[in-house]
Amino acid sequence: MPAALLGDVDVDPSAQTRSRALNQFLAGVELKAFKIAQAALRHEDDALDAVQDAMLQLARAYADRPAEEWKPLFYRILENRIRDMQRRRTVRGRVIAWLPFRGEDEDEEADPIAQAPSAEPQPLKRLEIDEAMGALEKALGELPRRQQQAFLLRSLEGLDVAETAAAMGCSEGSVKTHYFRAVQALRAQLGDLV
Amino acid sequence: MSSLNEPLTQFERNARMVLEESVSRIDARTRSRLNQARQRALEAATARRPRWWSSFALMPAASAAAAALLVTLVLWHRQPAGEPPVLEGQRSAVEDIDLLADGEALDLLEGWDGSFYEWAAAQTDANGESDG
Repeated sequence: MPAALLGDVDVDPSAQTRSRALNQFLAGVELKAFKIAQAALRHEDDALDAVQDAMLQLARAYADRPAEEWKPLFYRILENRIRDMQRRRTVRGRVIAWLPFRGEDEDEEADPIAQAPSAEPQPLKRLEIDEAMGALEKALGELPRRQQQAFLLRSLEGLDVAETAAAMGCSEGSVKTHYFRAVQALRAQLGDLV
Repeated sequence: MSSLNEPLTQFERNARMVLEESVSRIDARTRSRLNQARQRALEAATARRPRWWSSFALMPAASAAAAALLVTLVLWHRQPAGEPPVLEGQRSAVEDIDLLADGEALDLLEGWDGSFYEWAAAQTDANGESDG
């Protein structure tokens, strides 16, 4: 339980209501946000960092804004964070390319709890889903960033045109174009697999 | 293909189903870390709030203190050095109190001779008329 909910620092009922609403909002978006960040960054820890930073920034800077604005704001923050990390990674990659030894995280032991799935569908169905999931994630990873973002915000998060445009920081027309091209590219690549 | 606010095509529905399935399979460790991140964000939000919230809460006390200080300063600057301030309307009343408190004055009042003062006043008027 957050310290502030204990009532020691902040006993204002409206503040507690707001804190509960923010908790509910973040709990509702965190898994999808993680998937979106993971698709962009292709790295679990980086994706977690990006989501955490977006949560912190939303909570610090925009918690007092109307709750309806939180979702586009959150995804806008997340997108900026993802872009920053991609830029940093590009710079780091250039530096590491010059080094004689490249450290990898291969010695990190796999956590058995981490490997535990949350749902257990039937084996055959699971194989089909696994195959479709792998193919879709691979195809998504190959999309241009803006197309990937438009597709995921629409298909996974369910944002409408205006919300997607606000989250992406572009016009609604651009959102439609990016989304259309994303679907075309995915359909061409995946065919009947998905 | 559907545009963003139109019904989804079969391909889009299938893609959404696969994506949602992938979300439901996020492992327990990642879920736990996301939960911890959320709690940290909530703490940050509520830790920020008291700064401005407490300033509002203390505002009545601060206003009262400022008003008291202002009144004190105004009274301090209006008061002349030396004798305590006495308002003009209160001066005669203060003199009457002095007379009443003075024992000799009371003795004089006991030996009040009204006829002498009437005679003295008449003499003064008569002198004034003869001068005129």
